[in-house]
Amino acid sequence: MAREIPYIAAVNEAIAQEMARDDTVVFYGQDVAPSDEDPLVKSFGRDRVRVSPISETAEIGMAVGLALAGYRPIVELLMAEFMLVAMNQVTNEAPRLRYMSGGQVKVPLVLKAGYGFTAGWAGQHTGSIYTMFAGVPGLKVVLPSTPADAKGLMAAAVRDDNPVVYLMHYLLVLEHGDVPEGEHVVPIGEAAIRRPGNDVTIVATGWTVGKALQAAEALAAEGVDAEVIDPRSLQPLDMPAILSSVEKTGHLVLADQATRHASAASIIAAEVAEHGFGYLKAPIKLVTALDATIPYSEPMEAFVLPDEHKIAGAVREVLGTASAVA
Amino acid sequence: MVERETALDLLRTMWRIRCFEERVATLHHRLQVHGLVHLSIGSEGVAAGVCRRLRDDDAVYSGHRAHGHALAKGAPMDRVMAELMGRSAGLCQGLGGSMHLVDTQHGLMGATGVVGGNLPMAAGDALAARLRGEDRVTVVFFGDGAVQAGHFNETVNLAALWELPLIFVCENNGMAEFTPRSAHTKVARVIDVVAPYDFERRLIEGSDVGAVWTAFGEYLEQARSGTGPFLLECSTHRRSGHYEGDQQSYRDALADAEWAQLDPIARLEARGKDEGWLDDEAAAGLTAHADAEVDAAVRFARDSPPLSADDAAALVYAT
Amino acid sequence: MATAELSDDRLIWMFTQMLRIRDFEERVKRTFEDHPGVIRGHTHLADGAEASIVGSLATLKDSDQLLTTYRCHGYPITLGTDTKAMMAEIYGRQDGLCGGYGGSMHLCDPGRGFLGTSGIVGQGIPHATGVGFAAQLRKQGQVVLCFFGDGASKQGAFHESLNLASLWKLPVVYIMENNGYNVATHSEQEDANAANGEPLSVKAKAYSMPGVTVDGTDPLAVYEIVSEAVARARDGHGPTLVESKVYRLSAHGNLIAPPGVPLHYPEHEAITVFGNREEYEAALRGDPVPRFRARLVEQGTLDAARADAIAQEVTEEMDAAVQFGLDSPFPEPAAATNFVYA
Repeated sequence: MAREIPYIAAVNEAIAQEMARDDTVVFYGQDVAPSDEDPLVKSFGRDRVRVSPISETAEIGMAVGLALAGYRPIVELLMAEFMLVAMNQVTNEAPRLRYMSGGQVKVPLVLKAGYGFTAGWAGQHTGSIYTMFAGVPGLKVVLPSTPADAKGLMAAAVRDDNPVVYLMHYLLVLEHGDVPEGEHVVPIGEAAIRRPGNDVTIVATGWTVGKALQAAEALAAEGVDAEVIDPRSLQPLDMPAILSSVEKTGHLVLADQATRHASAASIIAAEVAEHGFGYLKAPIKLVTALDATIPYSEPMEAFVLPDEHKIAGAVREVLGTASAVA
Repeated sequence: MVERETALDLLRTMWRIRCFEERVATLHHRLQVHGLVHLSIGSEGVAAGVCRRLRDDDAVYSGHRAHGHALAKGAPMDRVMAELMGRSAGLCQGLGGSMHLVDTQHGLMGATGVVGGNLPMAAGDALAARLRGEDRVTVVFFGDGAVQAGHFNETVNLAALWELPLIFVCENNGMAEFTPRSAHTKVARVIDVVAPYDFERRLIEGSDVGAVWTAFGEYLEQARSGTGPFLLECSTHRRSGHYEGDQQSYRDALADAEWAQLDPIARLEARGKDEGWLDDEAAAGLTAHADAEVDAAVRFARDSPPLSADDAAALVYAT
Repeated sequence: MATAELSDDRLIWMFTQMLRIRDFEERVKRTFEDHPGVIRGHTHLADGAEASIVGSLATLKDSDQLLTTYRCHGYPITLGTDTKAMMAEIYGRQDGLCGGYGGSMHLCDPGRGFLGTSGIVGQGIPHATGVGFAAQLRKQGQVVLCFFGDGASKQGAFHESLNLASLWKLPVVYIMENNGYNVATHSEQEDANAANGEPLSVKAKAYSMPGVTVDGTDPLAVYEIVSEAVARARDGHGPTLVESKVYRLSAHGNLIAPPGVPLHYPEHEAITVFGNREEYEAALRGDPVPRFRARLVEQGTLDAARADAIAQEVTEEMDAAVQFGLDSPFPEPAAATNFVYA
């Protein structure tokens, strides 16, 4: 049975269900359940639900140790940027140990963090810095954009035998959507077609998925039939789904909240350029954040970010309809 | 003090490490062991005194200077050598090399090339033992250079707060890479760095393997019963450079006589002869036996091919 | 006794700064009610820490410098930064202290020695240590104050920085404002020393550095201790760790929510998380601002009429700050790509 719940509730439901299903799942982090009255503490006990100090290196490093010793820790990191404090553990220890040990060990852990909070949080709490992680072999990176995926990808992340960076989008936490009540697992590495279409492929991640859908609706009124694809994970990246869509539409627009030169869009563009060049009837267009730190003030913040108008504009450009509409 | 059988085992272990590492140095010069190699010649007493106390299910986390810990913990010498020579029969199929030795069967859970990067991992492992109610103990080896890194303090706070069954073993050789400890901190003794946390800690001479064995044993017994953490600081002397090829322009050579005072093997042999449980012949026999094991290990390694690229690629993600 | 040298005028100045900080913070809080949507993102108030801030900054000379946490409004107010520009910054306006780029968490006024903040817990500590290194190299007797919270002392950056500062005898005073909470977590839940009932200044032992704990709700006690530490730093004897114990009188920050949800200040975590209203009310009874006023009136430094007049001036100043902020235009959107590189 599915019912409508907010994205944030879906994330929490997945954690609780996974903890109930598997007693090797432990959950800790800053401000995780400081009160003994917290429902998670009551359900699973203080051993498995812990509040930890502001020590990201130790929190993440300990998760590696727990994982080596057979547990499946979920570390609450609140903000993706807080992982930067512990970059050695995230990118240089967790994802490399299995490989360097010749496959003897595995490091199943989930680094749960929010990102993209472009709501006046200024320069240090708003980044979409996922390619810093997606570029590291051994790490997986998931970016749920719907409540159902928020639940299903968390369940998949917990069950995965690899370190998974689970990035929940702070601008989406109160978005409601249908979420299955019981077990719900979304396989990591499978893109979702959010809107089928024939004229142009729009690939969007996280918060920009909604923006792409809005753009697609506006374009539909102009007779343009856009397909919107949400990769859902960046590592692994479902390139076959993207390529087959581009083969069908011949046009590609990439929407991404990350700064252009560190965007998933730039990676997808490179892959399509190499593997799908022959499908393209026009150059690829990227609609990303500008290469700037996110400013505090609202008009400037809006200026640097992608939105539905910029996405629709890019579609018109690749289709060569820009002048007609303008 | 240490019983005769134990003393002989420690001596045998130290010779195995010494002969192995001396051969590694030779092989490195001949480009048969490649990459960055860090030797522990002169510090074998700590590896032996600690690891010979441990069970296979006790976890050891080591760092870039790990050969001694691996051998003393029970990793087969031939597979360690094969690893250093980059062969598929190596402990890690040749994918890790000298700085990343792992042997899960013998509880060598991880060795990291980033100074102190193993500290929080070991704490996590100790937390796992606590959660399962196991009586196994986690040991983390690190050098004095790691103590000035942030993750040291983060880990110490959490280990103390959660009273983890973790034994910190610091091999303080007075040198962090190429500079003396006095250039890194005002606090000469590592045990003083954890003073704010007030858990049991002790400074001993790492070249006295008997002292290591005894002091570590006391902590181990307590940690088995679920208390912790502990810090054992072992003063050691790094006979070789920071890495193989290090010109060591930063220090004066020690006189041979001084070196002998600080050499754990020489010290234990002298004691054995004093106490009558070792003579020249028996000592030479231990060395010869270790050398023969090293010969066999090198032959074993040479017979093993490197891993194929496809097999290596399959190890990037667990499936 | 350093405090014995404080003139009546100086004491009144200290009280005035405490009052200015308090009033400014109340205006920030009230903006969420009076002018919904004007403040975006996250703000953090220093109410309860005024005595600690003013007692510390009163020890400084003009050429001294400081770096702080993102709970940063009180420091520039004390240093004399224009509260109009500060409020305009918090409102995201063009006339803001940082042109609308930084907001509440990232105030900065280098001309007055306030070199800025970090929004990431503990990460300003190495910055301040580097500023101390620069001061040592410059040899002009400058001292650097480094403010951070108790939670930051569990960051590796704390450990690394204090070790180096002690080794190199840098002229830095590390002031840990311990308000007992990391957001909603009690110190005892995340700090081995706190769990043992020890003052957090014991951490200084690890660095062979003096460590001292002071009642951060008493501006004169803070002044006394920080004066000593500043003198020590200025004389080339190196850093000191000062733990200043305060109680934050507001929640950690305003509500965290996506755009569209009205923001406001919830009740303190003692109540919302732990259901401990008594703890919070006891802290309110010890509010350092009225306490200091009463003390100055009692000892005859200040009479009630003068105190009321000061309060009236402060009210007028903050009225003007709010109005200035509201009236200031927004920045040009395209200005967003300025300042990415020097």
